[in-house]
Amino acid sequence: MGPPLAAEPDPPWRCRVLIECEPAIKSIIVHLDSVNNDIIIEDLDEQHLVVKENMVHSLKQKLEDRLRETYRPEEPLADSD
Amino acid sequence: MSVGTQSYQLVDYLEKLPGTTFRKLYQQPSTAFAIFRRMLPDLAKLFVQALLYAPSPLLLSQLDIWVTAAGKIQRDRALSILRSLHIVQISPPSKDRPQEIQLATNFKNSLRHALEGSSTHNSFGVPSTLPVDPTIDINFLDRYARKKWEDILHYVVNSVGGDSAGASSAGGAGSGPKASVRDLLLAGRLVERRNDTRSGVGITQAGFTFLLQEANAQVWTLLLLWLEAASHNPDLGMESVDMLSFLFMLASLELGRAYDTNALPVERRNMLPSLVDFGLIYIPRDTRQYFPTRLATTLTSTSSALRSLSAGFTAAAANAPGSAPGDVAALGPAPAATNETKGSIIIETNYRLYAYTSSPLQIAVLALFTQLNMRFAGMVTGRLTRDSIRRAISYGITADQIISYLAAHAHEEMIRTAVAKGTPVLPPTVVDQIRLWQLENERMHTTAGFLFKDFDSLEEYQALSSYAEEIGTLIWKSDRKQMFFVSKFEQIRDYLKSRKKVE
Repeated sequence: MGPPLAAEPDPPWRCRVLIECEPAIKSIIVHLDSVNNDIIIEDLDEQHLVVKENMVHSLKQKLEDRLRETYRPEEPLADSD
Repeated sequence: MSVGTQSYQLVDYLEKLPGTTFRKLYQQPSTAFAIFRRMLPDLAKLFVQALLYAPSPLLLSQLDIWVTAAGKIQRDRALSILRSLHIVQISPPSKDRPQEIQLATNFKNSLRHALEGSSTHNSFGVPSTLPVDPTIDINFLDRYARKKWEDILHYVVNSVGGDSAGASSAGGAGSGPKASVRDLLLAGRLVERRNDTRSGVGITQAGFTFLLQEANAQVWTLLLLWLEAASHNPDLGMESVDMLSFLFMLASLELGRAYDTNALPVERRNMLPSLVDFGLIYIPRDTRQYFPTRLATTLTSTSSALRSLSAGFTAAAANAPGSAPGDVAALGPAPAATNETKGSIIIETNYRLYAYTSSPLQIAVLALFTQLNMRFAGMVTGRLTRDSIRRAISYGITADQIISYLAAHAHEEMIRTAVAKGTPVLPPTVVDQIRLWQLENERMHTTAGFLFKDFDSLEEYQALSSYAEEIGTLIWKSDRKQMFFVSKFEQIRDYLKSRKKVE
């Protein structure tokens, strides 16, 4: 790969992950990031973030844990077997 | 689909190869022909045909006579594919000279040879002149390939944690794939080592995606893992370019015919054992013959990368579990096979599911997203629950995949009732609920790719982002921030380079 190009994406062609989510979820992610600042690469807008690829898995789990504390939807139907 | 589950497909693989690799690949007429035949959209084929016998480069603008004003996007995509596969060379834009286009020399010569049957390149295989065992017919080869491939699928399915009737009972169906194949599945992270399953390995997200792919895509996934493994291990003496050429050659052979092993160079003969393990070829004992199976001869017969996921899923489902053993009609990845596979699943509005099947593979697949309760001879019953769907989703299966699986395998009684009443085949409440369960679980949508920012000028931002949009890789952009996000960067990099040269 030749000399650095003017409009290179942040360090040479590094794979990132674009996250699209509701603003409420985004604010949780921003909060999770504020601990170590190791997740978010770029805060794009209300519903979009770019994060490090290797952090996506743990981010999903942290988010799930956080939501479980507050939110528990009901089963739509009890099993009658 | 979330990150890491994108199927490792042939086109993606090829697009990442350097130009020198393509030059070597295109030395083989069978390779050039296979790529021309199966991997190009129609408009791209038209361009290639126009250029094939052109004595000198054509003006790029001359191609526009085939393109209507509305077809500009298709033209750009066609050119972008031709360029990324290194089939054409286009001169860089310049103020003094209009852009010209021509075919890459090796590609042009090889495609001409393939079409004219000229030169003795042996690129399409050398049939064996020795007597052929009459019992080795197409039927036999189909059964053989099917068994080999099902063994591999079983191995992946069986690595599901033993929490369901289906998964645990699916064991013992076949002797299982060779250690070399198991290593590939591990290296490709379709399964990973885990202590909580009986087999010592557990399925990964990519493994589920693999299971739900159509057969042809599955074969390529495994073959590309094989190429990858060989390139990391030079001791094997196999070169990935040659392996790829060999695969394209196999794809051009005729099913049911014997070919001469001795006509192969020694490097390719060394590849035969692996191909036997995958079920792509059959070698009778003590002969100098090899028979390509349907898995090999259909390698380039569908451009699976261009297929929609649901179509692929349907084909996979038709291929793998739905049919009785020995039902060869279901082996080929042809769409017709889907119709020939009888549906077996009845689903009621109360989320109960009945499947009239005794195929361990189908039961294991059902167990991925169903809470199976009872098993009878020839039938299993279960329910779709929030937990069973959520578990499936946590493995990387999508609601749409589940829904299209259920639709593709609906029992004919379901279809008959739906037609009589004029209602959808699957109960709409169930379909909606499966989607809602996914939404509830999917708090965010993720796309892997590359962020572009810090442009020198607004013009540069606009030129690049609209180029990304034209070639269909743009995912997100903000004119205000002058940033955009794309799913692939290779073509943008090339575009940037070609612009640099002009300046």
